[in-house]
Amino acid sequence: MTTAPPSSRHLARHRRRVTSTDHLIGFALAAIYVAWLIVTARSLGFPRDEAFYFRAGQDYERWFELIFDGKKEAFEATADSIFSYNHEHPPLLKDLFGLSFKFLHEKHHVFEDASTAFRFPGMCMGGLTLWVTYLFGARAYGRWAGFIAAVLLGLMPRVFFNAHLACFDVGIMAMCTLTIYVYWRATAKGGLWWALAAGVVFGLTLLTKHNSWILPFIFVPHAMVVHARPLFRQLGAGRLVLPTSLVAMATIGPVVFYNGWPWLWHDPVARVTEYVKFHLNHEYYNMEFLGRNYNSAPSPALYMPVMILATVPAITLALFLVGAVERQWVLGTRAWRLVRRGLLVVSGEGESTSPVVAPLLDEPVPASHRAAHGVRQHDHAQTDLLFFLALAAPLAVFLLPKTPIFGGTKHWLTAYPFLALFAGRGFVLVGEAMNRAWPKLVETGRASAAWVLLAVVVTVGPLAITEHSHPFGLSSYVPLVGGTAGGADLGLNRQFWGFTTQSLAPWLAAHAPRGASVYIHDTVWDAWNRMIEERRLPANLRAVGSPGEGDFAIVHHELHMGEMDDELWVANGSDAPAYVLAHDGVPIISVYQKRR
Amino acid sequence: MSDDPAELSPAPDAPSAPTSSPAEPAPTVEEAPAPEPAPIADVMKPVEPVPHTPLARLRRFAFLAIPILALLELGAHLVQTHTVVSDAQWLAARDAVRTLAKPEDLVVMAPYWTDPIGRELFKDEILSLAREARPDSTRFPRAVEVSIRGQHLAELAEWKVESKKKVGPVTLTVYDNPSYRPLKDDLVDHVAPGKMAVSVLGAGGPADCAFTHGRVETGALGFGPALPADRFVCPQGGSLVATVMQPADYRPHRCLFTTPLGGGKTLRVRFENVVFGQTLHGHAGLDWDSTAHAEEQPVTLVWKLGDRTIGHVVTGNADGWKGFELDTRDLEGQTGEITAEVSSPSSRNRLYCFEADTR
Repeated sequence: MTTAPPSSRHLARHRRRVTSTDHLIGFALAAIYVAWLIVTARSLGFPRDEAFYFRAGQDYERWFELIFDGKKEAFEATADSIFSYNHEHPPLLKDLFGLSFKFLHEKHHVFEDASTAFRFPGMCMGGLTLWVTYLFGARAYGRWAGFIAAVLLGLMPRVFFNAHLACFDVGIMAMCTLTIYVYWRATAKGGLWWALAAGVVFGLTLLTKHNSWILPFIFVPHAMVVHARPLFRQLGAGRLVLPTSLVAMATIGPVVFYNGWPWLWHDPVARVTEYVKFHLNHEYYNMEFLGRNYNSAPSPALYMPVMILATVPAITLALFLVGAVERQWVLGTRAWRLVRRGLLVVSGEGESTSPVVAPLLDEPVPASHRAAHGVRQHDHAQTDLLFFLALAAPLAVFLLPKTPIFGGTKHWLTAYPFLALFAGRGFVLVGEAMNRAWPKLVETGRASAAWVLLAVVVTVGPLAITEHSHPFGLSSYVPLVGGTAGGADLGLNRQFWGFTTQSLAPWLAAHAPRGASVYIHDTVWDAWNRMIEERRLPANLRAVGSPGEGDFAIVHHELHMGEMDDELWVANGSDAPAYVLAHDGVPIISVYQKRR
Repeated sequence: MSDDPAELSPAPDAPSAPTSSPAEPAPTVEEAPAPEPAPIADVMKPVEPVPHTPLARLRRFAFLAIPILALLELGAHLVQTHTVVSDAQWLAARDAVRTLAKPEDLVVMAPYWTDPIGRELFKDEILSLAREARPDSTRFPRAVEVSIRGQHLAELAEWKVESKKKVGPVTLTVYDNPSYRPLKDDLVDHVAPGKMAVSVLGAGGPADCAFTHGRVETGALGFGPALPADRFVCPQGGSLVATVMQPADYRPHRCLFTTPLGGGKTLRVRFENVVFGQTLHGHAGLDWDSTAHAEEQPVTLVWKLGDRTIGHVVTGNADGWKGFELDTRDLEGQTGEITAEVSSPSSRNRLYCFEADTR
């Protein structure tokens, strides 16, 4: 890690291109993060969806066995039956879950728990996001920016929670970030290979999750700005020209998507249609927001901004604001110069041969601003614009009244790397302001130490908050809203997917007799069975499906789930739970014991 | 070739590209090898002479807002996670509530999310079903509010504060109900032979519903309220029970639960030996899950004294737990019958509950 710029002579060093050292830093960040996830994985129970994906991974792994054995059934009806399960989501991550299970659990026993093997690819996706975010930041705004961006991204409690899971949300965050990175490199460097890489990576992202459908809304407007001049020139000649990377994504992407998903092979049009329709017409599950239960359209427009404020550490958001405002100012200045030149053209005083839209946002940066902010004359790849688009596009979807909000924050995780990148830029601006305020830091060679201290100060809070949130990641809220209790005061969702059941293990072990039956509420059977199998819960417990049947019954506290409490009050003739599992004093699960 | 990608003409050696122009296939633009996007941050700024005006000084040190915010956030996190009310503190509050609350008083937890903790530690001796599943708070003369974090229940906002007491981090506030009128009769307590008769009207004359004793029925989410062992069961479908339901106000309410029969049929509930007061005060609502079905029609509850209709209560998806009050002053002090008739065009997704008392 290179530290603060102590002198102009040293500063020149920081302008060099990303090197193997940067990849080493990125890899180290990823490795530390994955190690942290592995170490904490056993204390986090299994949410509903994860249990389905465990099963899908195990099923899909059978298909790879057919491939490894050279069986032709892999390309016939068997493939269709294997991939029919959970076909509402494409298979890439489930393939990886299954292969990890086979090789890292069953064959080589790297992971004792099968669940950790299933989860490992998802964890690696979390690490990959940090790595790519670091590289992005290091290239665009310098090493410190990349480093702080990656660290602050990993220290978002909801990212940390989701990065544990054998689910798709962190996987799609990684793949979208990677696709944008490769596209950016293709734009900056040119050449066929980067463009081909963009096509392949985009195809893999299509195979990860449907959030990938947002990417064209980032790339197309960005490419129109970057390539405005040839585009308009060729349009004037009656021809449409397209950037190679976009063409590669539009052609190679679907080919990779089709070939990577055997469920599509036998009836591609009907099945792609079914897949798309499923997500465009998804049902509305229940979600509490500001004390109200939402289970139909319209969704509240405030949901996304409030949830970001309530779940992302305030210091991350503050640094983001510093960085984003500065970059927005640069873009705005360029845009204003463009408008001014356009006005001059219209009034006949300007350069009439220059197309008005051609140099959009690529106006030369004023010398005064370059001196003040160290900004290069031209950024041909329009990096700031790309980052703003990559941030805005996934978030904008949640301003639409038809978009369901049942996924909480996980459905816009793809925006977070870019939020973090602006935060990284903000950190650099703060560090530079520190150098200017205390020039002696630079003169006495203590600037590096000061920057390290500043980095510790801005990351220790998010670290403490994220560490404390585990294993109640979806129940936790940041100090800005009063922590977990503040979130409850505001009427924000306490949890979903029933992921907290495992946290009852100590109480059940102490209080449930051998063979006791438990109504498991929002926990799905597969999740319960795996927790029993891996001895995360007392092995002598039996699950039942109706609250009145169990010796014990659990209720996961969500606004609409109060119905379960009411049923148990009537069935037991008492409203007193035997135990309430709480996080920071906020009830997460009530356990009722049948009165005999 | 220019290093500006915008200067590039279509590259003949680029892979063949699709075109949106139907007239002519479009060539592609191979992205130009633009300069490496160099880091822009780590650039030394010339240290300018610092003016000594207060504004300049403020601007110079404005960056300190970031580390200060970071430390404030960390501090807030530590305070928030280390000031959680302990079980011992809750139990101390419970002992104080025991001395403050009379049997006829309401006891509530504030904020409402602390209610499960209250029920766990205070038990149903204090947070009883009658208090927890109340139709509303107006039936109680006083209330003891057990609160933390400076929170209060909105339903007591108009009540008069009688006293306040701190027990550690817990505040006990005793309220007086300014408009208290004692209950004369609670119709939900009438679910028993001799106190209530249930029948179905329509489709070939009234059919009586028998009072039965079975086993309690419960189900997973979406089942609706539990069906207790004692219930009226109708011969061709339909039933009536006293249970606890969660309407779309997402609070538990003890009430009379039924599923409207649809098809032109009406469920008639005749309450016997009712002691009348000045008003019939009550509520009606659809189960929270039923309200998600926007296409379904409202449920109508008609109150009758003999052949005289005294009120219609129409409850739709948006009504939550809807209150009503009907004038019965002409019957005040008398004992007699009152009839409730429940109907809806459809029986699908119409889990329905109502309650009433006289006062």
